[in-house]
Amino acid sequence: MTRKTTPRTSALQLTDVTKSFGEISVMKGVNLDVEAGERHAVIGPNGAGKSTLFNLISGLFAVSGGDICLNGRSITGLPPHRINRSGLARSFQITNIFHRLSVFENLRIGVLARHGVRFGLFQPVSRMRAINEETVDILERVGLEPRADHLAGDLTYSEQRALEIGMTLTTGADVILLDEPTAGMSREETAKAVELIRSVTEGKTLLMVEHDMSVVFSLCDRVSVLVYGSILATDTPERISANRQVQEAYLGEEAAT
Amino acid sequence: MEFVIISALNGVTYGLLLFMVSAGLTLIFGMMGVLNFAHASFYMLGAYIAYAVSSYFGFWTGLIVAPVIVGIVGMLVERYLLPRVHAHGHAHELLLTFGLAMIIEELIKLFFGDFPVNYQMPDNLRFAAFTVFGTDYPFYRLFIGATAITMFALLWFLLARTRIGIVVRAAERLPAMAEALGHNIPVVFMGVFGVGAALAGLAGAVAGAFYPTNPNMGLELGVIVFVVVVVGGLGSLKGSLLASLLIGLFSSYSVGLDWSLAGLFGLVGLGDWAQSIGGLMTLELSSVSATIPFALMLIVLLVRPAGLMGERN
Amino acid sequence: MTNMRNILLIAAVLVALVAVPPFLGLGWQNALVNILIASLFALAFNLLSGQAGLLSFGHAAYFGMGAFATLHLMLAIEDGLSFPTPLLPLAGAAMGLLIGVVAGFFATMRSGVYFALVTLAIAELFHSLTPHLQGFFGGESGISSMRMPWQGFVFGTVLEVYYLTLFWVVLSVMALWAYTRTPFGRLTLALRDNEQRVRFLGYNAHTSKVIIFAVSAMFSGVAGGLQAISNETANYALFSSHISAQVVLQTFVGGATIFFGPVVGAVSFTLFAYLVSDLTRSWLFYQGLIFVLVMLFAPTGIGGVVQHHLRNVRRDDWLLLAGPYALAATGGVLIAGAVIYLTETVAVLFGEEYAVQIRNAEGSLPAYEMFGAWWEPFGIATWLVPVVLLAAGGAILVKSRGNILKCWEKMGREVGEGAHEPAAPGVAK
Repeated sequence: MTRKTTPRTSALQLTDVTKSFGEISVMKGVNLDVEAGERHAVIGPNGAGKSTLFNLISGLFAVSGGDICLNGRSITGLPPHRINRSGLARSFQITNIFHRLSVFENLRIGVLARHGVRFGLFQPVSRMRAINEETVDILERVGLEPRADHLAGDLTYSEQRALEIGMTLTTGADVILLDEPTAGMSREETAKAVELIRSVTEGKTLLMVEHDMSVVFSLCDRVSVLVYGSILATDTPERISANRQVQEAYLGEEAAT
Repeated sequence: MEFVIISALNGVTYGLLLFMVSAGLTLIFGMMGVLNFAHASFYMLGAYIAYAVSSYFGFWTGLIVAPVIVGIVGMLVERYLLPRVHAHGHAHELLLTFGLAMIIEELIKLFFGDFPVNYQMPDNLRFAAFTVFGTDYPFYRLFIGATAITMFALLWFLLARTRIGIVVRAAERLPAMAEALGHNIPVVFMGVFGVGAALAGLAGAVAGAFYPTNPNMGLELGVIVFVVVVVGGLGSLKGSLLASLLIGLFSSYSVGLDWSLAGLFGLVGLGDWAQSIGGLMTLELSSVSATIPFALMLIVLLVRPAGLMGERN
Repeated sequence: MTNMRNILLIAAVLVALVAVPPFLGLGWQNALVNILIASLFALAFNLLSGQAGLLSFGHAAYFGMGAFATLHLMLAIEDGLSFPTPLLPLAGAAMGLLIGVVAGFFATMRSGVYFALVTLAIAELFHSLTPHLQGFFGGESGISSMRMPWQGFVFGTVLEVYYLTLFWVVLSVMALWAYTRTPFGRLTLALRDNEQRVRFLGYNAHTSKVIIFAVSAMFSGVAGGLQAISNETANYALFSSHISAQVVLQTFVGGATIFFGPVVGAVSFTLFAYLVSDLTRSWLFYQGLIFVLVMLFAPTGIGGVVQHHLRNVRRDDWLLLAGPYALAATGGVLIAGAVIYLTETVAVLFGEEYAVQIRNAEGSLPAYEMFGAWWEPFGIATWLVPVVLLAAGGAILVKSRGNILKCWEKMGREVGEGAHEPAAPGVAK
C-alpha cells in the first residue's frame, strides 16, 4: 500500500472514521486521503458501506468516532448545509431532484445558495441577471438547455442523472461527491456521462462511488477499496486491479461471474 | 395521601382509555403510514352507537354492537376511500380523514343534536369498588381500566402467539415481502384498520357512559390522543402506552393542585412580585389542566423531537 | 397574450370591488368584508400548506392572536394613544409574525404528519389556555373596543370598514404574489418537493421553514386584525378548531396548487354560508361532504380542474365536450338533490321541534313540512323522491363518465389526475 501523505494538498481527509447503528458496526476506522484536484473512486462489494461513507462525509449521518477534514478544516459533526457551504457538494444514488420544478429552477436553487441569497425576499428572482446567467451556463455544461423549461419529473432517467450532477455543481463546491452517477445507464449513456463528469470536474476534486470498472479506469487517478467498513487498499487503478488481496476480496467475485 | 392515591387511580384509568384509542392510531400509522384523523371520531361514533343501541336493547348489547359497527365502518373507509387518494401522497390521506372526521361530527349533530345525550352506565354497575379514606371509589372507573387491559391482553396474545399475528407483524415490517410469500396483504391491512377502529369504538362505548357523550368528545379526545402519539413517537406501541399513562397521570394530578408560577416564585421570596404581574403567573394549575398535555408536548419536542420511544423521523 | 388577459381580468375584478359595494345593502357589504378576510386568510395559509407543503391544522392561533393584538391597539387608541386607525392591522401582522416565529420553531422540528399534529396541538393550547387569562384575553367573555375616527374618516359605516379591509387585503395579496417571485419563494416550492436536497445545496432547512411559517402567520395575523376591526370584539372562540378547519377546507376545495385557488374556495364557501346558513343547520355537513368529494375525485381542487382544462383543451374540443359535460352536470345536480333531500329529512325527523310534535301526537309520527310541502314519514312519495333522484342521477353520471373518457381519448390526451368532473359519488369504480 502506497499512501501519499501530503497534508497540505489533501482536499478531504478521513481519520479513523467509525460508525455504528446500534450494535452493528458498519465503519471500522476508515482512513482516506483525497488529494486536491484528483479524481478518486471508492469501490467495494455490495454492502461494504460505500453509500454510508458518503452519508457520513456529507453530514447526513453523524460519525460515531474519528475525524473528517475538508481542505484542512474539520467538518465533523456539522449539519449538511454547513458542510455544503464549506465547499463540498454531493449527488445521490437514487435520483434526488425537485420533481415539480422546472429543470432551470432546479439548478437555480443551488446557484442562489452559492450567491448567498438564501433568504432573498425583496427582489424578484427574474431580475437577478448574474444568477440566471450562471444557471444557463451550468445548464449548457450538463447539456440540458433544450429541456430548461420542462418539469424535472418529466425528464428521462439519464437526463435526470445529468441534472443530479448539474445540481452538485451549482453551489460552487470544489470537492464533489458522486454516488454511482452511471448506475442503470446503457453503454452509450455511460460513455456520455463519463465525458460529462470529466469536463465538469476539471480543476476540482472528485470522489465517486462506482461499480463499473471501465468507468473507474477511464476517469480516476486513484482508487480506494472499501471492504466491510474499512479501506483495504488505495492506489492507481492499474495497481489496484493487480493487487492480489483486492482480487480476492472484490474483483475475484466479478471475474468469476 | 388520599389525593395521591385517588389521583393515581384516576390517572391510570384515564391513561388506559387514552391508550385504547391511541393504540389503534399508532398501529395503523406504523403499518400503512396513514395518520387517521378520523380515529377519534370512531371513538365518538362508538359512544353514540352504544347509546342508541343500549336505549333499546340494554347496555351490554350496545357495548358489543358498537365496536362491531365502528370496525366495519373503519374497514369500508380503508377499502373504498383511502386507496383513491393514496397516489396523491400522505397529505391527501390526512386531508381525507380530516374531512371524514368533520362529516362524522356533523352527522352525529344531525341525528342526535348539538348537545350531550344521556348515555348512562346500568345501575348494577353503579357501585363503589372500595372505600379509601372515607371516599367511595366508583367501580366503573376500574371497569374502564379493566376493559382496556383485557383488550390489550387479547391483542398481545393475537399478535405474539398466533399465525395471524405473525403475518400482521411481517406485513408491518416488509409488506412487499409478506405479499410475495403469498399472504393477502390488502386484507391484513383492512383487518388491522378495522380492529383499530373497533378498539376506538369500544373505548367510546365504555367511556361514553362515564364521561359526557357529546358531539365535541371526538375532537377533545382526539387532540389529546394526537399529543400522546407525538410524545410517545408515532408507530411505537410502547411509546404510546408510556405517553398515555404519563398524560393521564399529569392531567389527573393537575386537576387537584392549586400551584401557580407565583407560588413557585414565592419559594424564593419573589411571590409578591409575581402576584403583581398576574396573568400567567397567578394561573392555578388546576384551571389549566387541559393545557398540561400541550405543554408537555412542547417540552418533549424541545428535548427529544422524535418522541420518547420514536425513531428519528 | 395570456398575461395581458390576466392583467385585464384582475383589473376588472378590482374595479368591481371598488365600484359596486356602495350600491349594495348592509348585509352584502358585511358579507363582502368577510369574504375578503377569508380570502386573505386562505392565501396566507396556503403559503405554508400549499406552497411549502407543510399542512397546518392550527392556523386559528395566528388569526386569533392577530385579532387580539389589533383590539388591544384599538383599546390603547381609545385611551388616547395617537395612532392612525387605518394602520391597525400592523398590530395583527406584528403579533402574527412573533407568534409564528415561536410556534414555527417548534412545529417545524418535525415534518409530515407530525407537523400537522403539532400545529393542531399548539392551536388547542391557545384555545384551552386563553379563557383562563383575564388580562390579555379578557377571560371567557373576551375583549371589545371601538373604531376611533382618524383625520376625516369616522369608520362608523360598514362601507368604510369595507374599503379599509379591501385596501389591506389587496396590499397583502400583492405582497404574497410578489413573494412567489423572489428567490425565497422559489426555495419554498423546492422545500415542498425535496427537503433533503435543499439541505445538501447549502440551505438551513429548519430556519427556512421557520421563516415561511412566520410569514404565513404574519398574513394570517393581518386577516385576524381586519376581523377585529370589523367586529370590534374578540374572544377565545377565535382559537377554536372550527376556524382552523374552515381555512383548510376552503383552501383545498379551491385548489392549493394554484396561487388564486384558495380565494376560489374562500369566496364560494363564505358566500354560500351567507346565503344558506340561515336556511339549513346542515350547512357544515354539506361543507364536509363537498370537501371529501373534492379530495376523492378532484384532488387538485376547483382551481386545479379549471387550470387543467384551460391548459389542455383548445376551443374546438369544447364543442365535443359540452354535451357530455352538461349531461354529467345534470346527473350531479340530481344526486346532489337527493343528498340534500335526505339530509334535510333527517334534520327534520331527528330535530327537537319534531320530537315535541311526536310527544304531542302521542307517539305516532305526524307529517312534516319541508321545501314548502308536507311529507308523511311513512308515505311512499316521501321515499320515492330520493330513490328516483339517486337512480337517475347515478345512471346519467355513469353514462356521461364513459362519454367524457371517450372524448378525451379522441383528443389524444391522457386522462390524468384532477381531470375528472368534481361531481358526485356513484362515479367511483
